[in-house]
Amino acid sequence: MPAAIQINDVHKTFRRGVKALRGVSMQVDPGQVFCLLGPNGAGKSTLVKILMTVIHASKISGTVLGKPIGHKPTLKRVGYLPERHRFPKYMTAEQALHFYGGLVCMRRKHRLLRIQQMLDLVGMSSWRKHKVGTFSKGMQQRVGLAQALLHDPELLLLDEPTDGVDPVGRRAIRDLILHLRSEGRTILINSHILAELESICDQLAVVVKGRVSLEGTVEDLTRGERRWIVQYRNVDLEWEDVAAESGPAGVRITLPGEDAGLAQPIIDRIRAAGGTITKVSQERESLEDLFMRALELAEDRDGATPGAAQGRDA
Amino acid sequence: MIAVLAILRESWLYLRSEMLFKVVMGLNVLVIVAYASISFDDTGISLFFGLTHVDSEYVRGGTQFARTLYLGIYSAVIVNFWLAWAASILALISTSSIFPSFLSEGSVELMLSRPTRRTTIFMTKYAGGLIFVMLQVGVFTLGAFLAAGWRVGEWDATIFLAIPLITLFYSYLFCINVFVGVITRSTLVALLATLLFWFGTFGIRTADDLVNHYVIVTESIEARTATRVAQLQKEHDDAVAAGDEKEAKNVAYWLTSPKEEHEQAQTTLGQLRPWAAMLSTLRVIMPETARTLGLLHRSLERDMDMTFQDLRSGRAFEDPEEAAGQDEFDAYWGSGQNQTDTDDERRRKRQRAFNQAEREAAETMIERENAIPAWRIIGKSLLFEALVLGLAIWIFRRRDF
Repeated sequence: MPAAIQINDVHKTFRRGVKALRGVSMQVDPGQVFCLLGPNGAGKSTLVKILMTVIHASKISGTVLGKPIGHKPTLKRVGYLPERHRFPKYMTAEQALHFYGGLVCMRRKHRLLRIQQMLDLVGMSSWRKHKVGTFSKGMQQRVGLAQALLHDPELLLLDEPTDGVDPVGRRAIRDLILHLRSEGRTILINSHILAELESICDQLAVVVKGRVSLEGTVEDLTRGERRWIVQYRNVDLEWEDVAAESGPAGVRITLPGEDAGLAQPIIDRIRAAGGTITKVSQERESLEDLFMRALELAEDRDGATPGAAQGRDA
Repeated sequence: MIAVLAILRESWLYLRSEMLFKVVMGLNVLVIVAYASISFDDTGISLFFGLTHVDSEYVRGGTQFARTLYLGIYSAVIVNFWLAWAASILALISTSSIFPSFLSEGSVELMLSRPTRRTTIFMTKYAGGLIFVMLQVGVFTLGAFLAAGWRVGEWDATIFLAIPLITLFYSYLFCINVFVGVITRSTLVALLATLLFWFGTFGIRTADDLVNHYVIVTESIEARTATRVAQLQKEHDDAVAAGDEKEAKNVAYWLTSPKEEHEQAQTTLGQLRPWAAMLSTLRVIMPETARTLGLLHRSLERDMDMTFQDLRSGRAFEDPEEAAGQDEFDAYWGSGQNQTDTDDERRRKRQRAFNQAEREAAETMIERENAIPAWRIIGKSLLFEALVLGLAIWIFRRRDF
């Protein structure tokens, strides 16, 4: 099966010489949740906008759903939730969905059916006749998701989907994404809230200063970074050659490696000394750790502070 | 097609949500009610449904005067002042935000990320803005049609020409509004630029008309004085040839004034013509806002024996034979010149001659205007609009949002 998104060497230089993308290449496989991470100004939104033909790339080659990037009819098969989107405030939720459904050439009968289904899905059915201008940020985000899903897209591009949404709403959106993945849809999420992505992300790419710093499945990227954690209290022990940190919950020992045998001598020593073991767990590198690692890699590579735009780079 | 209809519907929802749209619609109804309140009876004109009455010897019910006056009020006063100025400014204020709002961050992405082509989105949005004016004028024109039928029995469908003509007139301005809106994404800048452009075209047109008017007046004086100078010169030469020194001296005295007038006219023409050429050139590239509206006036008066202008100037009430018999030029520069005239009498004759030159120039101007074919007026203006829109679309298509 061809990749849902395949891009090679994407460059974007804005007017006045601001370089937003400097050779981004990546592949999003079908049926997966692909997370695009990166600090503010790294070029993530620019990349998504290029895929949606909102921004013209300076140089690009690749495909979206098997068609060249920029092929307008293909966009019928793509759903998009822009960052900080704004609906016409004089429209009701229902009118807005009719409008955006019309723009992808959905017939009225089909629109009516899908609008009801999507408003139910995002929990906004009772607000269908209310003006979008009166909605909170979270409610607008839900309607935004409804419009992105309205035409039953194969590929979904979500730019900061949980922006302005409360914790309950965030969980609902996360569950919705998992549900969509289970239906076989491909989802590209652009976000900087790493905790949200951790449990739903299959593949990821970290973009720093217009370049992909790290890319792969979460499993692959964190394979070499597994560790055992042993936590205890009620005993005072001296440790050599292991990383031990004291905190309010007791002492926490981190043992790099995948082998469970690594923790056994530590556990034996604590027990022998009469200590109380409060936690023994295996952990892998968090997305936050991964993210920080990508930033360090970019810093080593470019010799500049990663993150937001500096000088003439965006 | 579904996408186009969706964008048009969105424009309609936008306009409906605009308070100014409702205000303008309300004002339109008021103006048309005021128009319908004018009626004619056997003694003159009744205003405000009989609240006021103006006695008139000529303008009475069933007369040609009443018909011309009523339709003239519509085309020359209501259309030219209310629809073309006041209502258009209000419409510009309402529609100026269409493009800047559409192009604002967060809104434009939702539109451009669809399968619909940018050009289609742009043109449909543009048409949506013009719907504002079409609806306004449509309602207004229907009211005017019913009023004219009711008050003067004139069921003239030509009145409905106002819909396309005023929409065209508005589109010449709206294209500038959209062009600036696309570049700056600012409602205020787009509105100010449009008003500036509008007043600029108004200024150029007024200056062009004024200069042309005086060119015609001066050409007329120059031609008349040239004839008179030639005539007196011949009389002078004949007198010299006949050895009649006294007559030669006398004619030479009378030759001084027309010669001076002739030289002055030539100097004035020399000064006016470069300005006339420059203004005409400028006008060539400008859209014909006033002339487009004038087409309505022209169409309404096509089969009439008298025009609204005749009523306004009072010519409609003059005896045509008496009016035709007066030639102030001849009295001052021609055979009517009396060498025994006092200086005061000569000054009065001179003034009357100049007044006649002015009147004739005004008539010539109207004839020239009426001779310009409608296709040229509209075609040239649409070409301007197409160029401005083409440039705006080119920028819009290439732009990153």
